[in-house]
Amino acid sequence: MSPLSNISNDQLIEAYRNAVRSRTLDIKIVNSQRQGIIGFHVPSAGQEIIQVALGMLARREDIIFGYYRDLALLIQRGIPLDKIIDQLLGNKEDMQKGRQMPDHFSFKDYNFSSIQSPVGAHLPLAVGAAYMLKYKGREGIVIANFGDGATSTSDFHAAMNFAGVFNLKILFLCENNGWAISLPTEKQTKGEIYRKGEAYGIMGKRIDGNDLLSSINGITEAMNYIRDGKGPYILEAVTYRIGPHSTSDDTKKYRVDEITDGSEKDPIRRLENLLLSMGILDEGKISQIKADAKREMDEIVEERRKIGFPDRSTMFDDLYAETLWIQDEERRDML
Amino acid sequence: MSSKTMVQSMNEALYSMMAEDDDIILLGEDIGRDGGVFRVTDGLQAKYGENRVIDTPLNELGIVGMAIGMAMYGLKPIAEIQFQDFIFPAFDQIVNQMAKIRYRTGNQFQVPMVIRTPYGGGVKGGLYHSQSGESYFVHTAGLRVVTPSNPYDAKGLLVSSVRSGDPVIFLEPKRLYRSIKMEVPDSLYQIELGKARLLKEGRSISVITYGSMVPIVENVISKNNIDADILDLRTLLPMDLDAILKSVKKTGRVIIVHEAPRTLGLGAEISALISERAIEYLLSPIMRVTGPDIPFPYVNEEIYIPDEKRILAAINSVINY
Ligand SMILES: Cc1ncc(C[n+]2csc(CCOP(=O)(O)OP(=O)(O)O)c2C)c(N)n1
Ligand SMILES: [Mg+2]
Repeated sequence: MSPLSNISNDQLIEAYRNAVRSRTLDIKIVNSQRQGIIGFHVPSAGQEIIQVALGMLARREDIIFGYYRDLALLIQRGIPLDKIIDQLLGNKEDMQKGRQMPDHFSFKDYNFSSIQSPVGAHLPLAVGAAYMLKYKGREGIVIANFGDGATSTSDFHAAMNFAGVFNLKILFLCENNGWAISLPTEKQTKGEIYRKGEAYGIMGKRIDGNDLLSSINGITEAMNYIRDGKGPYILEAVTYRIGPHSTSDDTKKYRVDEITDGSEKDPIRRLENLLLSMGILDEGKISQIKADAKREMDEIVEERRKIGFPDRSTMFDDLYAETLWIQDEERRDML
Repeated sequence: MSSKTMVQSMNEALYSMMAEDDDIILLGEDIGRDGGVFRVTDGLQAKYGENRVIDTPLNELGIVGMAIGMAMYGLKPIAEIQFQDFIFPAFDQIVNQMAKIRYRTGNQFQVPMVIRTPYGGGVKGGLYHSQSGESYFVHTAGLRVVTPSNPYDAKGLLVSSVRSGDPVIFLEPKRLYRSIKMEVPDSLYQIELGKARLLKEGRSISVITYGSMVPIVENVISKNNIDADILDLRTLLPMDLDAILKSVKKTGRVIIVHEAPRTLGLGAEISALISERAIEYLLSPIMRVTGPDIPFPYVNEEIYIPDEKRILAAINSVINY
């Protein structure tokens, strides 16, 4: 069976388009950060393909616990761009009311859970959500994304062990981009990430996260296993962080860039070459997609920038079911 | 002697202490090749090697726990937690191990180690790169808690912390890392732990503060010509009770300024100490100017940190009581 027998040409074009849109937005955000329009960014450049593949295969009812470097996944998930940009700007329309740093999204309506900064801390939460699915007999699985660095956290190991013990429907998807800020993966662990589930009774596999076919195959196999109730699964998607860790990071001290934006090893370029060779895309269509993405991102950032910031008094809301005298008093005294 | 930032003065302190004492080992995330995300350990791995300046895997519990074990067995580790916000995975190690080992072993074991960590807001860091969590640690007997407010103090306090023989939480106000430059001696020197600094003398009010808030307080007082004592605590555990009481007995009026949230912040303890021991000297209620009891938000962070307007309002209400 061809790996792509279930995937139509239109879906492939859509995947490519979303990878390009993500990369284009990424660059737009980095430029906006330099101009002081957006405060900070964790670029996803280089990790689009595994994220897009995951977005294609995740079902509506599946609950995704992403992490801060999942822009292409959000786009493929169908989260409207304006909602994404509003969060990055922290403007009045931002669903989180400007409280979190850029790239720390929560989109409950899209079954996309809440992203936080502490690395790995979402993984036990994902296990809790998976337990809910089991307890309630609901359709769907939980998908938890994280970096190679996160596999060193205690949270990761607690999550894996619990998921195994309770035999939950959860996919642990490690986006191994080779680095945790300045630490290369080989110094993060002496072992193999995809084998970290073994001792917890969890199935694992390594895939080329920079190749769409390998990503689709690997995720499909893992999801079938999980949906069949055979237990949790860990996928190690080998990918590459093309940019710095964040807009605050300078890579000069610790690495030479092995894959650069637009080079032949760039995963988007690889997909482009594949689709060209399959005759699904031609150069004209590619230029069109890129030009459209550029215009779309320029326009949307320009549009959302005009929106003001959240009212100051909102910073005292949402701590409890009802406000307490403490915050009421502080709101009154401080504003 | 030359003009240095806090980052430079601490880097120099680490460099010189390591030259003098082979048992000093640094460990933390990105502290080696990268020199730390704030560059405090810049160049130290190149100088002292990977075995003395250790880039650890991403696990704060591991960093602190391993450091404790090193310290129990004769080494003098200095751990870096990249942001104070990420120290909580190590909280169990800090509270249940680090703070209690000397006590529970009847002083057979000591834990001479320092955890350095940047704290406080004002760098657009949102909920998880801005917190001021000193109260969590000050509530734990067995720890020392230190926070400098300028490059000179940072170096002297860091040296004293390393040499104290006790576990020290060393909170570095990240907002001040590079914003202040001052003359700092090139050689090593110590600043006694547990001693506050009276950085301005006055008669009408005592303003007690520390760490990240010190420059703001200084500015408000000098700009508005207020005849105030400004006390920079420098050590939060133990606090310099003598310095606090001496000032309060002179002025009879007190405000306490900190960035951390109000509820059970250091202001509460300072206020209680004064009430117990010097209430008859007070001419007005003690007031606190603090961060609010909410997580540190990304947008509007300037409202969170006590500013001139709020500090001045408190001073006026206490003076005009
Ligand atoms: C508990 C915790 N410790 C430290 C940090 C600081 N930090 C932010 S991202 C990061 C590296 C994460 O690497 P990885 O998990 O590989 O994800 P990547 O950023 O490479 O996508 C570190 C150390 C943090 N956010 N949380
Ligand atoms: Mg990584």
